[in-house]
Parts: sequence; structure tokens; C-alpha cells
Amino acid sequence: MSEHLISALPEARAEGFVQIAEAGLQGMITLRGDLASAAVAMAVQSVTECALPEARRITASGKASVAWMSPDELLILCPHEAAAEIEAALRTALSSEFATVATVSDARAVFMVKGAGWRDALAKLCPVDFSTLAPGDIRRTRAAQVAAAILVTGPEEARVICFRSVAQYMFDLLAQAASTGSEPALYS
Amino acid sequence: MLILTCPCCGVTAEETEFHGGGEAHLKRFGPGSEDADYESYMFNRKNPRGVHFERWRHAYGCGKWFIAARCTMTLEVFATYPAQTHEPPAEVVTQIKSKRPDWEGFA
Amino acid sequence: MKRYSAFAIAREAFRQHKGWGEAWTSPEPRASYDVIIVGAGGHGLATAYYLGKRFGITNVAIIEKGWLGGGNTGRNTTIIRSNYLQDPSAALYEKARSLYETLSQELNYNIMFSPRGVMMLAQTEHEKRGYLRTERANALQGVKTRFIGPAEVKRLVPIININGPRYPVLGALWQDRAGTARHDAVAWGYARACSAMGMHVIEQCAVTGVESAGGQVTAVNTTKGTIGCKKLGIVVAGHSGALADMAGFRLPVESVALQALVSEPIKPCMDVVVMANTVHGYMSQSDKGEMVIGGGADQFNNYTQRGSWHHIEETVRALVETFPMISRLKMLRQWGGIVDMTGDRSPIISKTPLGNCFINCGWGTGGFKATPGSGWAMAELIAKGEPGPLAAEFAMTRFREGRFIDESVAAGVAH
Repeated sequence: MSEHLISALPEARAEGFVQIAEAGLQGMITLRGDLASAAVAMAVQSVTECALPEARRITASGKASVAWMSPDELLILCPHEAAAEIEAALRTALSSEFATVATVSDARAVFMVKGAGWRDALAKLCPVDFSTLAPGDIRRTRAAQVAAAILVTGPEEARVICFRSVAQYMFDLLAQAASTGSEPALYS
Repeated sequence: MLILTCPCCGVTAEETEFHGGGEAHLKRFGPGSEDADYESYMFNRKNPRGVHFERWRHAYGCGKWFIAARCTMTLEVFATYPAQTHEPPAEVVTQIKSKRPDWEGFA
Repeated sequence: MKRYSAFAIAREAFRQHKGWGEAWTSPEPRASYDVIIVGAGGHGLATAYYLGKRFGITNVAIIEKGWLGGGNTGRNTTIIRSNYLQDPSAALYEKARSLYETLSQELNYNIMFSPRGVMMLAQTEHEKRGYLRTERANALQGVKTRFIGPAEVKRLVPIININGPRYPVLGALWQDRAGTARHDAVAWGYARACSAMGMHVIEQCAVTGVESAGGQVTAVNTTKGTIGCKKLGIVVAGHSGALADMAGFRLPVESVALQALVSEPIKPCMDVVVMANTVHGYMSQSDKGEMVIGGGADQFNNYTQRGSWHHIEETVRALVETFPMISRLKMLRQWGGIVDMTGDRSPIISKTPLGNCFINCGWGTGGFKATPGSGWAMAELIAKGEPGPLAAEFAMTRFREGRFIDESVAAGVAH
């Protein structure tokens, strides 16, 4: 089955004052449960080797990264092929907890926004003060008319996660926002 | 444009990230209740000019419901607090009183 | 009152137009009146006018906290139509529309009624079915409407794009005797006629309290002193909740800001009113050439008479798809009004817990079109103490009794 899997918009690229690229296959697992519970923290730590993130933060290890989505939800990012195994391990570790685990890799699309002006590009689409975001932050918001999660993965790089059904819309938005000569220069 | 801070995730954003849910702290009257109570619960609203408590959902963010204390004449937001309460917390009431001394209080 | 006519213009032309006089007088309030109407917008003034005309009650004051017609009367997008779904609404709005037809002659004041036709676009299959249902309901109600296909829409409105990618035009509900009128002129015309009957139009006079004894209103406290009354009519749209609070009862009404905007004036390009409820926008062209565009309502209670910017963005974005030629237009001005929304999106013309106090409110996003009919029905209610056939279904007790007049389809956002 796996050799037929493709991401939402394989190889989709756009070049402007920042570069936009679809990130390809990305493993994603949603964990819902009581994040204040020690058992949940322990399960996440043991399976992903990541500490439980603070609110609106991302933690990472060599194996996976864990993003804080809401007071009772985490998004675990891992290699696409590792998702099933991590999901199963989390399920086992949380079997006695009031928690749910689901692989959502193929329900989402991921785009990379690379370049010093990534804040300027995203600021055109999202009602967010990007000066408040630093590497390791996650911000859930909307991009134009659809929901988006922005993961700040480096000083000059962010990732945007959206539902797969709106991947083309999101790509077109990002590509247009990145058009050379259209920099709002709010942050750079 | 209304700017709100979600007490559940700490994000401050403008209203398009949120979804309004109407007057807060309503007492529900369901099947079997008196017609007058049911009418009041379903339709009659304080609709005040001034201090107002209302429910909001951080729809594009953490997805949680919360309550905002807000002025309907100026759009000033006095405070936001989690929805798991039957009435405004004491510190919110104090905060509003300090800014609106004439406010008759939550009733 | 000086009658306006061609002869009057000719006569005045020979004396430098010095003989016109004020259209209405601005008297100081008397100690008391038979009837006080709170709110000198279109509905309040129409109520007073029909009290005098139909029932001979002229010892009436209409008091207004701001200036005459400065609330929603002067802020709406002037659309007049009666293609509603439910029988009570159709009767009321059709009465209003038919009164509009001859209102200029009746008031001797040009309200610029223009029955240019209103079309409500069907842009989804669901909406199309809804309008086909309304068309049949209208046929039974005696309201002349017709469902027309996309080709007919294009013929009537050449600037429309009927093949939009998101919102193709599948047809429209067309009412050819609907249209627009000059909103200010409606208030001014009624005010002039009321003044001529000896009624007092008192502006810059805010109500601060309502005095009552034994379940009856006795007087209202105002910024110009206490004024006694035998009957009180509250016709204050978005501020109804505040007035009801003074009178000691609560209303099934919430106030929100509704916005509109106009473009810079351009040459005539569209001679009908087009409403697109799926995308929350509607547009007509004023006699000055401006494209008049109505937008959405805020989702929260608001008394600020200004709305949130993103509604304008959403409305314009959708309308640009349907009318590509407006994409280059500049916006001239934008404004908001406070509308009073009821649970079933139908108005309230009703008795209240106070025996001699009556309320007319809840017109939500679409009161202008009803102005004469609303005044007609409200006057009857005040004069007789009981509602006539037009107002009977609009009592506020309908919420308790579950007799809703559900017009969320007809009203949508766009009215």
C-alpha cells in the first residue's frame, strides 16, 4: 500500500521573496487527553522521546516532534512510515487513560515557507502578530478562509499545516503571498 | 474590530479567529419547564448598553469555549475567563467596577 | 403647510424662494400629550402620521434623541420588496409596498419611490428550491413574484457574471414592483405631514426614564423634562432593549451592527436591485450613480454604529465575483446601523406588560421596506388598544406560545 501513497501536492513549489514548497509525506498523529495528567506526559516521553510541550510550543527529539494544539490536544510529527508504530505504542501506553490517539497524516497537507521574509508572507494571510512568534512556537489560526497551524521551525523557516482538502487553495494563497515585489516589509 | 485573548491557550487575536456564542451565564430551562422560563431562556436577552458577558469559541485556534466581559458601547474588553463557571469570577467583577463604577453588577 | 407643486415653484421663483418655510416645526414640548411616540425614524413618524390620518388623534409628540431620521432610517440601503414566505409577513410588507406606490402623492412630498424591480439570486440548489417555494407562497398571498432563469437574469442585469466558479447564478426570485425609495425623504415627508396636523416633532430629546403607576405609563422623563402621556409607543429599533428596560420588561431582541457601503459614483449600469443572500451581499445603483452595497451583521451585541471591517471584505469579495466590473471601483464611504434582531427574524408590533404602552421593534436587517405598513399597523394598535389584522400575528407573546413567523430564509442577512 505504501508505495502508492502520495502527498497532497507532490513537488508543488513557488519562488518569490520566500520559497514555498509542499513538504511531501509527513507522519502526523493526534493525541487528545488530559495534558495535565502525569500518565499522558510519561506516555508521550517514552514513545516519542519528547518532553510534553508548554502551551503553544513544540518539543523535538531525533524520533519525532510534539506540538501543543490546545489544552487537551497534541500533534505528533514523525516520518510518515513511522506513524503506525508510534500510534500503536501510544495506544498501548495510554490504554488505562481517558485519551484518544489517531493517525491523521493523510488528512493533512504541509507546506514549507523558507526565507527571511516568511513572517511578511504569512502576515498577508493570517490575523497574527508574527513578531510574537519564535522558533519552537506553534500558532493555530486561519489563513484567508481556512484553518491553519503555523509551526516556526527555524529563524527563517516556518511550516503551515492545513486540511488536505484545501491544499491547493493553501498553496495558491502562499504562492501569491510570496510574489516578488509584494513584500509588506512589516517584520524585515 | 474586536480583539480578544483566549484564556484557554493565551492567544490574543482579532474576532475573525473566534466565533461568537451569544449571552453567557444563561440558566437552561428544558422540557417540562414553565413556558415563561423556557421563553426567557430561549429568547429574552439582556442586550445591555454597556457591560455584557458573552460566550466565544476560539474556532480557528485551540477550539475552546470561553467567556468575555465586554462593553457593547465601546468594544472595550474587560476580561476573558474560562467557560466552566456559572457567574463572572470575583476578580473580573472587580476589574469591571474599577472601569465602570456606575455598573450595577452582574445579575 | 405650504403645498408643493409646479405652481409653488413658479411662484417662489419670483420671490427668491423666500416663502417656503420649514417643512416641520421644532416646538418645545407641552406638559402632556394623548400619545407620545419615542423615536422619530420612519416607523415612528409613520405611526404618528396614521394615528392622525386614520384615527384623528393629533395631540401627539414624536420625540427623538438625535436628529430626525438619523438612525436606521438614514442608514439602510433603501430596498423595498414584499416577497416574504410566511402569510403574516407577506401581508404586512405588501401593505407597506402598496402604500409606498402612492406615498409621494399622499404626503405631497417626493420620496422618489422607484419600482425598478428586485431580484434575489439563487446561487445554490438549496437556495433555488427555497425561492421556488417562496414564489408559490407569494402566488397564494397575492404578491406578484416570478422565478426567472439565468438568461432572464442576464438580460435584466447585463453586468452580472452568471457563470461564476463558486457562485453560479441558477436563477432568481424577481419582484418587478419592488424597488427603492429615498430613505431620508420618507422620514422628512412623514414629519412634514405630522407637523401639518399639529403634532410635535421634538428632536434632541432623549428619553431617560418611563414613569408608570398601576401598570399604566403616566409620563416619560426626557432631557427636556418630564412629559405626560395617555399612551406610549416605543419605536426605537436597536435601542428597544434599553427603552424596555426603563419600562420594566425584557424583549426577545438582540442588537447588532449591520454595515453598508457605497462606491464612487459611476454612469448608470444597473437599473434593478440585486440581492445575493448566499454571499451576504446586495447591490443597487443610486440616482447619484453610487453602487449601494449592503453587507453582513456582526456576530456580537454592539451599539457602536460601526461594524467590523472583515464583513466589508467578505461582501465585496463575493460581489466582485458576481459583478466583475465593480472590482476597480473605490469605496466612497462605509457606515453601520444598530439593528434589533428577534429569534425568528420577524418584527414585533405588540402590546406590552404595561397596559397603555406599545412597542414596535425587531425589524432586524430590513425595516425600511415596511415603514408605511408598520406605521399603519402600529397606529391601529395604539388607537384601539388591540392589534388589527396586520399586527395580530406579530405580538411578542408569540415567542412564549411557539407561534414563530420564521423568515430566516426571506431575511437571511440581506434585506
